[in-house]
Amino acid sequence: MMRELRFLFRDKAALLWLALAFVLSVAAVSLGLREVSLQNDQIVELIEMDKVEQEAVLAEHSDWGSMAYYTYHMTYDPPSDFAFAAMGQRDSLPWKHRIRMLALEGQIHESDAVNPDFALVGRFDFAFLLSLLAPLLVILLLYDLRSGEKSAGRLELLEASAGSGRKLWTGRAVMRIGLLAIAILVPLWIGGLLSATSLSLLLKATLLTLAYLAFWTGLCLWIAGAKHTGARNLTVLTGLWLLVCAVVPALITEMTTRAVPVPDGGDIIMTQREAVNDAWDLPKEATYEPFFERHPDMAAFTQPVEGFEWRWYYAFQQVGDQTAENLSQAYTDGRTQREHMARKLSFVSPASYVQRTLEGMADTDTDATLDYEAGIRAFHRDLRVYYYPRLFDGRKYDAEDVKTRPVFKAIIQN
Amino acid sequence: MSLIATIATDEWRYWRRSRLAITVMAVGMILAIGSALLTAGKMSAAAHERAHLQAEAEETFYNQPDRHPHRMVHYGHYVFRAPPPLAVFDPGVDAVTGQSIFLEGHHQNTAMFADGRAEARTGGFGNLSAAKIYQLFMTLLLIAIGHAVLIRERENRTLGTLLAQGLTGPQILAGKGLALMGVGLLMSIPALCLSIYAALQGEALSVALGMYLGYLLFLSVWVALILFISVRVKTRGLALGGLLIIWFASSLIIPRLGVAATSALMPMDGKFQTDMRMTRDIRALGDGHNASDPAFAKLKADMLAKYNADDIDELPLNYRGLVAEVNEKELTDVMNRYAETRMTRELEQSHVLRSLSFLSPFVAIDYSSRHLAGTDLPTHHRFLREAEAVRYDFVMGLNQAHKEKLDYGVDINRNNGEAGSRAARISADNWSVLNEFRFTADPAGQRISRAALPFGALLLWMGLLLGAAFSRARRIMP
Repeated sequence: MMRELRFLFRDKAALLWLALAFVLSVAAVSLGLREVSLQNDQIVELIEMDKVEQEAVLAEHSDWGSMAYYTYHMTYDPPSDFAFAAMGQRDSLPWKHRIRMLALEGQIHESDAVNPDFALVGRFDFAFLLSLLAPLLVILLLYDLRSGEKSAGRLELLEASAGSGRKLWTGRAVMRIGLLAIAILVPLWIGGLLSATSLSLLLKATLLTLAYLAFWTGLCLWIAGAKHTGARNLTVLTGLWLLVCAVVPALITEMTTRAVPVPDGGDIIMTQREAVNDAWDLPKEATYEPFFERHPDMAAFTQPVEGFEWRWYYAFQQVGDQTAENLSQAYTDGRTQREHMARKLSFVSPASYVQRTLEGMADTDTDATLDYEAGIRAFHRDLRVYYYPRLFDGRKYDAEDVKTRPVFKAIIQN
Repeated sequence: MSLIATIATDEWRYWRRSRLAITVMAVGMILAIGSALLTAGKMSAAAHERAHLQAEAEETFYNQPDRHPHRMVHYGHYVFRAPPPLAVFDPGVDAVTGQSIFLEGHHQNTAMFADGRAEARTGGFGNLSAAKIYQLFMTLLLIAIGHAVLIRERENRTLGTLLAQGLTGPQILAGKGLALMGVGLLMSIPALCLSIYAALQGEALSVALGMYLGYLLFLSVWVALILFISVRVKTRGLALGGLLIIWFASSLIIPRLGVAATSALMPMDGKFQTDMRMTRDIRALGDGHNASDPAFAKLKADMLAKYNADDIDELPLNYRGLVAEVNEKELTDVMNRYAETRMTRELEQSHVLRSLSFLSPFVAIDYSSRHLAGTDLPTHHRFLREAEAVRYDFVMGLNQAHKEKLDYGVDINRNNGEAGSRAARISADNWSVLNEFRFTADPAGQRISRAALPFGALLLWMGLLLGAAFSRARRIMP
């Protein structure tokens, strides 16, 4: 064991790869931690700005209709304590929305602005490091293990002196990859401790890392026999990396996209807008009828009045959502189905599997996004439940009562 | 010259006999052709679909019945960004930005629904467009085939023989380079096909050719790098390891760390902070729906003075329409100010990222490819600006109709029963204020000049590497 360690420290290339792995892991983890703290700061700032904004609206208006119209409610999905390791969907889908009482379908699909050039390149986080870079490092550490000794003319001698050839090579490989695992994992553990990640999550991440590295180690030992030159081994292994880490994941996405059609997002908004816009020109009954189907308890209060009324306005906002409901549901269902399909297929590519598992652990996967969306929908429903009776029964505006309106509560992950 | 050609042919003969080289070539060609077909199919379909949706949206707008003009301001309209012909090669930002915008009064909406948003996440490198295959993986295959061009001669002890026959180092290297360039040319055939296809679809020949040449140049940079490493390094393993680490840094690490560094050094406010700040500025302008908003008191006084009238219903125009018009103009000025600030910032960030072209040939080809294809950030910004122009024009056109063609007295009675609402409408002929929108790529010259910097970086890379390789080759020893 000690002898092997001494050998390793004489191998400058191996040391270089290990040092690189450590530096990259430190970079990935600290960038992730930085991003998480930026997002948390942003949430605090937005909540503060939102409060100021709401106070301004409170001071300016004194009727239920205007209050509901002008007040925005901040909703957000805070990063979990493991999000630093895998930013996942948080980079491409919004994790904060400002919501008001208007038709929700017109608001929930808004996206936050990220520089498109940045989005194209992608983020340097631990998930990227582990799923895509680590295999290359394993390959670089192991491809020349046996072929190198052979070309140096020491192979037979070494295998003879060690008694069992297989044991020798496996032992040497395990030691190198063990050190690689430590180089990658130590920064992750420190990052986990800093952001108070639960021990079980860290343990799970550790096991995942070890299993993934073991997979690539096995592959390398299998492919990189002594029969062939190191260069040939490296070429074949890089090809396998290309297949597992790039081609198969892209094919899985392509397959799920083709297999599960999802309605065009624009259609949802267009449908909802058409319904809301048409309502202005339709008799009020045309709005109230579908509205009362959902809210029969409001029906008793309404004697249609000529001209504009807030309750009619909010009723057709809701009818707009109702009209787009099927499309919107299909959009959510489609994404869920694609997600399920990708989950099953990701077993074909360990790289995909690792990436998805880390995102799942960090609550930055599609499921987490769908949960957040469901949270927004529930909150919007609460707002409606709060405002409808106040709008419909002609109750007088009460500034104290407004303070009891629903407040968005973020789902705290983990 | 013929000596160089002989060396090159010899190298080719060797590759033809090597199962590994053949396999690598085959894998490369399959990847390139497969992704080319896939990207081309997808983007062509998208081009047709968006053109169709655009025409349909315009038809719908024009065919709206007689209405109150402000209702049409809120009814709104859609514009679609049709992909340029070269998007079949490099879809660029199309994958991450929305392709359509809803236009309406009082708001600038963001481009919605990038296709990527509804896709399942599977890690890896995302969708593999033809451009990405070339940028990331063709170089890897070139390394696999070419890393030993010179070292093999050394290992087989044939280098000495060659030199003894009177060949110079640079001649041998040129032969090897020619052979490797042949591989690059072969690999570039699918790229050439895509460029020709784009040209047939109406792309300017200069740009289509430039696109192909850009990729050829990029492959040549790697050929030069491989030559450079093979003259410097004595063993295969070292050459391959060295080349791989350069590939690793250039394609995977530098771009991503570049993004992290740029966003840390040049932070940009998120949409919501900006929106909130903008809301505050806009609130000061008053609500254009409410003509009695105190914000319009001065306007009212001015108008009454100008027409020597006592009350707004005596004005020769519809005061509500006027308020809507004035308010929209002020509102748009504020919104444009914020939009321009954001776009300028984005462009600054991208320029910093692009300057990494001098550190990583991957960044260089990435940018020059998008610039030439017309799927880059500046083009997306132009789409946003043109969409805004369409929005402003039709909203102002409708406001003008509101001001001039709808009587004020009729207008304020619009909520007065069925008859009042009917009277407060204007003819559907007025909906022709909406301009037709057909988004096209920037002129060829402009795209080429945009790509000049990353293109220059590639040329510089190639020049330096070739220079270094050949000057070292003069001192080559067996």
